Amino acid sequence: MKRILIQDTNGELKKVLREFSVSFKSQLQDRGLSGQAQVVVVSDIGVYNKGIVAKILPEGFIYINLDNAHIADIIEKTVLKGEKIDAIALDKKNKQLRIVLRNCGIIDPESIEDYIAVNGYQGIARALELGPEKVIEDMKKSGLRGRGGAGFPTWLKWNLARNVKADEKFIICNGDEGDPGAYMDRSVLEGDPHSVIEGLMIGGLATGATRGFFYIRAEYPLAIQRIQKAIDVAYSKGLLGKNILGSNFNFDVEIRLGAGAFVCGEETALIASIEGLRGYPRPRPPFPTTKGLWGKPTVINNVETLANVSYVLFKGGEEFGKIGTEGSKGTKVFALTGKVRNSGLVEVPMGISLREIVFDIGGGVLDNRKIKAIQTGGPSGGVIPEHFFDTPVEYETLQKLGSIMGSGGMIVMDENDCMVDISKFYLGFCVDESCGKCAPCRIGGMEMLLLLKKIAQGKGVAEDLTKLSEIAEAMQKASLCGLGQTAPNPVISTLKYFMDEYKAHVFDKKCPSAKCASLVTYSINKEECTGCGMCSRVCPVIAITGSRQDKYAIDKVKCISCGQCFEVCKFKSVVRQ
Amino acid sequence: MGMTKDQLLAIKDETLKKQPASWIRVGYSTCGVAAGAKEVYEVLCEEIKARNLTLEIKKCGCVGLCSAEPLVEVNVEGAPRVFYGKVNKEIAHKIMDEHVSQKKLVDGHIYDI
Repeated sequence: MKRILIQDTNGELKKVLREFSVSFKSQLQDRGLSGQAQVVVVSDIGVYNKGIVAKILPEGFIYINLDNAHIADIIEKTVLKGEKIDAIALDKKNKQLRIVLRNCGIIDPESIEDYIAVNGYQGIARALELGPEKVIEDMKKSGLRGRGGAGFPTWLKWNLARNVKADEKFIICNGDEGDPGAYMDRSVLEGDPHSVIEGLMIGGLATGATRGFFYIRAEYPLAIQRIQKAIDVAYSKGLLGKNILGSNFNFDVEIRLGAGAFVCGEETALIASIEGLRGYPRPRPPFPTTKGLWGKPTVINNVETLANVSYVLFKGGEEFGKIGTEGSKGTKVFALTGKVRNSGLVEVPMGISLREIVFDIGGGVLDNRKIKAIQTGGPSGGVIPEHFFDTPVEYETLQKLGSIMGSGGMIVMDENDCMVDISKFYLGFCVDESCGKCAPCRIGGMEMLLLLKKIAQGKGVAEDLTKLSEIAEAMQKASLCGLGQTAPNPVISTLKYFMDEYKAHVFDKKCPSAKCASLVTYSINKEECTGCGMCSRVCPVIAITGSRQDKYAIDKVKCISCGQCFEVCKFKSVVRQ
Repeated sequence: MGMTKDQLLAIKDETLKKQPASWIRVGYSTCGVAAGAKEVYEVLCEEIKARNLTLEIKKCGCVGLCSAEPLVEVNVEGAPRVFYGKVNKEIAHKIMDEHVSQKKLVDGHIYDI
């Protein structure tokens, strides 16, 4: 049986679409084909701004810009004969490539048999056959770099720890994911816990560590529960513990919970937290690979990195190295959020452009508004304006643009987002999360935040902008750990790309995106007002009064510039200035 | 009591052999659960029991389309394999009535990206 999937739509096309589907059904009926083909309206086919879109199953042909005139042809050629009509067909390529998320949503994360059925634990089996040196060699061939943000080559980190002589070594999986809007690691821990455990085992084998730790934030209860269950069942099957897979390799794993401090994602603070101390970072060197947990050599890898490791060892480093670009191998998972149509997790090969991620995979901006920028790398990253969207996604290229790959948060911003407001938000996050140990971060962050608040209130002066840059530079250079060193990045990148917005706030006392409440005023145009009273009903401070006859008016003294009246007015009679 | 590589491969073969022809997967990560996957999962389980079907139902992780959670992937013989998004109790009943029983796709809730 054929299925004709017609993509649902909003707005003007809605009526045309209904007629199209009704007409399709009746034509099928007229020709006595109702039993051979089903017409279904579906929520999404993933093709946008191409009029009426339909997909024919089982062939999978996608037809675009359809109208009623095409129906007879589609029935004649595709429904009856299974032929493709090239004139209206669209070749949609799947731009995603799933390595880290290879099993997420496919296997039951609580079943070890399900994981073994998709070649689980064969990576560690191969690693045991190769031996530690060759595992590191294989990792070098793969070109895998840390997915936590900085992009340090994984093989090199392992090799550093391997070459240190010590009676005991440790390996830690960093699951302290804290960037606003990022949740890739949580999904992997919840959806495919065994792949991360396997990666940790391989890292242990390569570095000589016999104990592994999962450091997971306590706000991830389901992830913790699934990892614990996976560890327990792996022990019961003899895949953890002594003499793994008949070898002389012993490896134990346990979970340590983070209490939710952002700074504990920084490796030295994380180590302190596992030791039971306050989560304070310490100066490096010595690096954890020489002196880490309890003074022993320690490797810390991110969740996504370890999920890659089990794949690399199963497939072979050379095979993995074929994916991606020269300097950035493999894929990257992004948590695509913000003003984007399809928010969620996407996994793409390195080297894909930002535009492809946002438009081809994400489906573009919500409500067809104009895109302004995307933010990558969370509070340590930066904002990338639209004219750089053709840049390929690689560690170095993003860095050159003043942002970073980061852990994988990607927040889409449209014309209604104010860049002063955005940098205020990210800096505010870092000020809250600063541990307070070093002065540049503790004082610098707060001073910058006060300056941004001043600018957002329309009280800024020209000098404030230079002050912002100066403090930012000092923080970058003098802070103790990554948190303080990178906290000014969102401010620096918005200053670089959106100086005109800052200037509008400082000199014209205007917020071009109408986001900063102190710089926006609302009023009602009585000529246009129909007196429906919607605005009055939504106003949280009862600043709007009036009647159907007299129309409505806003009391400027009471108004808090929340903008709800503006959003709700169907007749566009609320004026925003 | 350690396992050998051969035993590992034996488990793989055995699990693959046991894999059913018809199944339902429910996205059961934090994103799915927060959107109401628990209720949907329970309805589907009840229906399978009530109809006495040989249909495997599984709680899985997140496939990535978090904005459309709760997601239910349905693969039964005689109908194409599809994802239903933003599933609630009523749609779950419909999936069993129309898709599973009559092999008709349910209108308005398929996400095919």
